[in-house]
Amino acid sequence: MTSQQIDSESIRLPQAWQGKAWLLLAVGLALVLASGFVFMVSGLEVRKIFWHSYLANFMYCMTFGIAAMFFVLISFLTRAGWNASIRRWAEIISMTIPWMGLLFIPILGLVITGQGLSLYEWNTTPQALVENHQPVVAEKVIYLNGTAFAIRAVICLVAWSAIVSYYYSLSRREDETGDVNLAIKRQLYSGPLVMFFALSVSMASFDWIMSLDGDWYSTAFGVYIFSGSMFGFFGLMIASLMTLQSHGKLNKYVNVEHFHDLSKFQFGFTMFWSYIAFSQMMLIWYANIPEETAWFKNRLVNGWEYLSYASIPIHFVIPFLGMMSHHVRRHRWGAFFFACWALVAHWLDITFMVMPNAGPVSAPLVIGHVLCGFGMFSIFCAMILQRAADVPLVALKDPRLPEGLSYANPIL
Amino acid sequence: MSAHKPQPVAPAKPKCFGWLAEFDNEHDLMTAARKVRDSGYTKTDAYTPFAVHGIDEALGIKPTILPFIVLSFAFCGLFLAIGFQCWSNGYDYKYIISGKPFLSIPAFIPVTFETTVLFSTVSTFFAMWLLNRLPTYSNPLFANPKFDRVTQDRFFLHVDSRDKYYNRESVRELLSSTNPLSLEEVIEDSTPDKLPTVVWMGVATLIVGSLVPLTIVANMRAGKSELPRWHVFFDMDFQPKKKAQSISTLFTDNRSNRPQVEGTIARGQLVEQDPYYLGFDPSKQSSIEIPSAVKLVSAQDDPKADPKVESPKAPKLEGPVEDTKPAAESTEKPEAPSKEPVKVDKEKPAGKKKDTSKKAKAEPKGDDVKTADKPVEVKADGKKTVAEEKNPTATEEKKADAKKADAKKADAKKEEPAKDAPASSTKPADKAAPPTAVAPAAAGPNLPWLTDFPAEVSEEMLALGKAKFEITCSVCHGYAGAGDGLVHRRAEQLQQGYWLPPTSLHEQRIQDQAVGNLFYTISNGKGKMASYAAVLTPKERWAIVMYVRALQRSRNAKIEDVPVDQRAKLEEVKKAD
Amino acid sequence: MSSISISSNPREIDNTVDIPGRRAPLITGKQTLTSVTDLVCSVAENPQPTLWYVLFGFSLLTAIMFLTCIGYLILTGVGIWGNMNPVFWAWPIVNFVFWVGIGHAGTLISAILFLFRQNWRTSINRSAEAMTIFAVVCAAIFPGIHVGRAWLAFWLVPYPSLNLWMWPQFRSPLLWDVFAVGTYATTSLLFWYMGMVPDIATYRDRAKKPISRFIYGLLALGWSGSARHWMRYEKAYTLLAALAAPLVLSVHTVVSFDFAVSQLPGWHTTIFPPYFVAGAIFSGFAMVLTLLVPVRRIYKLENLITLRHLDNMNKIILATGSLVGLAYATEFFMAWYSMNNNEVFCFTNRAFGPYWWAYWTMVSCNVISPQLFWFKKFRTTPWMMFIVSIFVNIGMWFERFVITVTSLSRDFLPASWGYFRPTMYDGLMFFGSFGVFMTLFLLFCRFLPVIALSEIKWTMSVEAHRDAHLGGHGHDHH
Repeated sequence: MTSQQIDSESIRLPQAWQGKAWLLLAVGLALVLASGFVFMVSGLEVRKIFWHSYLANFMYCMTFGIAAMFFVLISFLTRAGWNASIRRWAEIISMTIPWMGLLFIPILGLVITGQGLSLYEWNTTPQALVENHQPVVAEKVIYLNGTAFAIRAVICLVAWSAIVSYYYSLSRREDETGDVNLAIKRQLYSGPLVMFFALSVSMASFDWIMSLDGDWYSTAFGVYIFSGSMFGFFGLMIASLMTLQSHGKLNKYVNVEHFHDLSKFQFGFTMFWSYIAFSQMMLIWYANIPEETAWFKNRLVNGWEYLSYASIPIHFVIPFLGMMSHHVRRHRWGAFFFACWALVAHWLDITFMVMPNAGPVSAPLVIGHVLCGFGMFSIFCAMILQRAADVPLVALKDPRLPEGLSYANPIL
Repeated sequence: MSAHKPQPVAPAKPKCFGWLAEFDNEHDLMTAARKVRDSGYTKTDAYTPFAVHGIDEALGIKPTILPFIVLSFAFCGLFLAIGFQCWSNGYDYKYIISGKPFLSIPAFIPVTFETTVLFSTVSTFFAMWLLNRLPTYSNPLFANPKFDRVTQDRFFLHVDSRDKYYNRESVRELLSSTNPLSLEEVIEDSTPDKLPTVVWMGVATLIVGSLVPLTIVANMRAGKSELPRWHVFFDMDFQPKKKAQSISTLFTDNRSNRPQVEGTIARGQLVEQDPYYLGFDPSKQSSIEIPSAVKLVSAQDDPKADPKVESPKAPKLEGPVEDTKPAAESTEKPEAPSKEPVKVDKEKPAGKKKDTSKKAKAEPKGDDVKTADKPVEVKADGKKTVAEEKNPTATEEKKADAKKADAKKADAKKEEPAKDAPASSTKPADKAAPPTAVAPAAAGPNLPWLTDFPAEVSEEMLALGKAKFEITCSVCHGYAGAGDGLVHRRAEQLQQGYWLPPTSLHEQRIQDQAVGNLFYTISNGKGKMASYAAVLTPKERWAIVMYVRALQRSRNAKIEDVPVDQRAKLEEVKKAD
Repeated sequence: MSSISISSNPREIDNTVDIPGRRAPLITGKQTLTSVTDLVCSVAENPQPTLWYVLFGFSLLTAIMFLTCIGYLILTGVGIWGNMNPVFWAWPIVNFVFWVGIGHAGTLISAILFLFRQNWRTSINRSAEAMTIFAVVCAAIFPGIHVGRAWLAFWLVPYPSLNLWMWPQFRSPLLWDVFAVGTYATTSLLFWYMGMVPDIATYRDRAKKPISRFIYGLLALGWSGSARHWMRYEKAYTLLAALAAPLVLSVHTVVSFDFAVSQLPGWHTTIFPPYFVAGAIFSGFAMVLTLLVPVRRIYKLENLITLRHLDNMNKIILATGSLVGLAYATEFFMAWYSMNNNEVFCFTNRAFGPYWWAYWTMVSCNVISPQLFWFKKFRTTPWMMFIVSIFVNIGMWFERFVITVTSLSRDFLPASWGYFRPTMYDGLMFFGSFGVFMTLFLLFCRFLPVIALSEIKWTMSVEAHRDAHLGGHGHDHH
């Protein structure tokens, strides 16, 4: 607490921005509806495509919150000090989970009432599945059925909401008291919670995305989603913090060292994602078992092959080569460019996982999906703004803040 | 290396390399370094026990180009690896493995990655030393005993006399103003900086010596030699074993492979010895015929000596279905009395299961005979000759040629093999059976058939037999065993002239057969009927035999066979008729 | 800390508690540059304790026994092992994967923890790296002698042969292994040696005997501690760390590919790469503990390898152990979820088939025993963690055994099912590999710097600097 003056102006968003949140929400909802409209007038199978697009964009925003939760938990688990000044921002992002949960309700409703066949191919009766030549999926009905799916989803969403709310509330309480025990408490719970996180994220990714193809399975799928989410999350952190700084916020608390570190993480997760994605693809390609290769086969036809092949440079080669040098990572525009790149790449990655199930690539599908994406992301930003508007953007009484502000990366 | 040892050599006028200031912590060093840098000296260096961060800036050291060297090596590794893999596996040495395309990019990625990393790390390591001009074993600083502590707990700042602004006095003043622990001039290292002769001679000898075996190997691989090869791994080249058909001096009969010992069963051969799996009792074969082993041995001793032995053997072996395992085993000896039987002999072991070997053997034979085979003839023949029946699997899909050839062969041998009655019930094909053939009407191999079921006759077994019969047998033999299965009816409908109707199981001939014989037929096939050993376990086969017996009984039942309480009912039906 | 107060060892100081904002010191006992140097150098400079000679003699004999067995194997053939149809990959491969797994901790500590700025690694990285290299040596032996004609093992290298006119098949995962392990061994060796050069220079400058001064002088390459050298050295170290971090992941990934590219139930599953890596880190840290708990005691290094280091390693063991447990669970779930009869059978067979004992040994050692580390008492009491680490080593060997043998012994054709039984030579050679490992490690303790002196000095300097700025106690543990 020695060096910095508390500068309330730079750590608070102006009140006016809260109004912007509502505007964003309205725009977002309108865009999501507009996407539905695009699908409808295009004469495509509107329900199927709309729900796939909805789910993909929902997952895109949801994974930011999940990754932010992991970032907060792991910071406490490892007693990290370097990120003390940016952890509040991650907490604010993680606090979107409870609200994002609300956006999952339409899908839950669909699935519980058994109307979700256009989204989840298992969401029908076993007889219908057998008749539809999917006896294998019919066998799994004890796990893949509307009720069980809903129970698991609710458990995950409620538990995550509870975790992030708890961490957030302690963090807020720390703002007032500066009590060290609050940090110790969070450190204590972080271990088991990280374990729970691993389990629940695996389960959620199996349920929410993998089971779109009822008979496809990959044990690494949870890790795959996780790695992509972290990549996108670090991009979001860098891009959003830089945007705040360009509005004159946080300039004293977030410096080039933080961006360098975040960028390094983003770089690391580019590699980690590639590693997991390659391993998953290679093993399935090599073993060549029909029920496994079907998933990739779907993604190599109907126009999706362009996205599939493009994701190699987009998600790996370009960010990898581009961010290799610390000059880029420490360069303001360099880091910002690749942060935005990550946001797009992550969106394409989720699209790659979900959308080929909706049908062949077509102009209305792309336009509608992009609209829906912008809409969902606007809603997501509205959630962040709403939360951020009335809290300090830095946990000023965090005991590790001085350490977080004084670290300098060795530049060799 | 010997440079470290300050030796009492008295130089006339040692050359000086500037001043060396000693500090005991990095902060003093940093302060001094900044001072020296700000005074404009560039040929300066700090020496520290660990990497002091910030000293580069304090001394004005420029960043290294090491990363670029590493990056270029990394790309070399990358392209070399991917290029080499594509060239070697996709072009130069095409070889199918795992059903993968020759150019399998995903499969090339791991090696590409590893090679890239290998090139990068090795280049990092060597480029770093190279840029540092290391190793160097002679350094004037080492001459100062105080400098030994640089790797432990002391920090040194050196201003080189080769700096263009160097002035001995002013540098000394500058450095003393930084309060060093000590300040000394760097004196030229007076110790010899050459390697001691012993050392370099030793190293050279080692290097040369290590090349000798390599040279020898290279020479031997490239050159030719008249000498026999070395057997380094003697026991792999000469294993303590006897190969089949080689001569052994250990046994009186000079054979290396031994006939089976009386009363024993070789491991894994229970199936070939136990009546349960055969349908007959091999141990009783001697009561019917001369044991094969005896025949064989005597035949070997003198092929022509014992016609009495010879004669029963030949026909028996000729007999298509009757060549039994035990006989087959013992007939593997090449030596045999006459040409013809031997030929057949050799076919035996394989012939039982594999028609292909039979076929292959038979074809040249057919060519030899060069008889114009008329289809009609074949047809006629086919009904009765061994040839067809010899190969249980010789069904329709078998090439006609092979059949003909077989038929010809059999004819040519003049061993009319018809002793084995065709399965067909329609043609009474029995021609003059050779005297040796056992000749009950329902001819089959002359074997000591089991007459009792080796398995318990039970309701359960009958049910199993019924189930299996209906699955496997009824298509030809019909559900009631009357030889009117669907396949037969279809063939009749199509008026297939060459169709051989399946046997009715109610024929007297079949009824007279022992259960073992029935079992044998199912196991090995007969005539056109294939072997069902592959799809039916022995237990199931016995169950089918039971069921067949039950079917037969059903047509010949007497009133006594009906349970007492049911008889009245039957009587009523009779009356009603 | 109660566990500390009952300890009879006066050097055992608890520095595991870390109040947020005030970092506990990484090394204890008011060390200075001089005292740290003396402490580390004393390991090699003082006469070795009797225990060293006893252990060394025993290890050397075991290693000689191992080499004898290899000779016998080469002269006789792999038939002396229990490998049989259908378990053609048995103990040799199990041992290979086991040792390679152990060989992951060293590079992980020096590379990945370095990138994460975990400065506590400086006390343990040197010995862990050494351990890595010795483990990789042991690992490389097994596939080398498993190829049958071991004297032709060089055919694995893609060299232009005038006699063969053939190239290795790069589409075969077994060849990937050659490259992965080869690259890993080379990189680890370079990394280890490069890290050691400044410390060897310390040994050189302190050496009394001319012969040791000469040899250390040769190995130190004329290192003088120049700031320019340090700058490039640090850059090279960072580069090597950045390269070794993905490398260390790739090595066990490639090992997992050996199994996972097949179609064998229980082998073919996409989580194998990350799961093998987690397992490797897990077993590697366990082996580091097994070695360092006695080493710090014997050489009185408790002030440098403090409870905090052990505590951190135990936490990593707990985390990776739980990850491995999660992977077991995922595999089981996915076997059911796939509704593939072969998968379902395979996993049922693992847990309840003829190898149930191996499976449950694995689960109890790997998943259950590290759960003890939830308790601080276990994380900070050396003898307790030593026992747990032994259990983890056992469990990780069994994990490889379970994966290799249960899947192979029950393949698609029930007709070829079998039950693997090791022979005496399987056992002797596995035991013998420990002899090689321990011999090398003991020699390392005797002659080379067991602790990265220059790095620990750097950490001390950084800590002191931060204390001055932040008013804490030591620093920098992220």
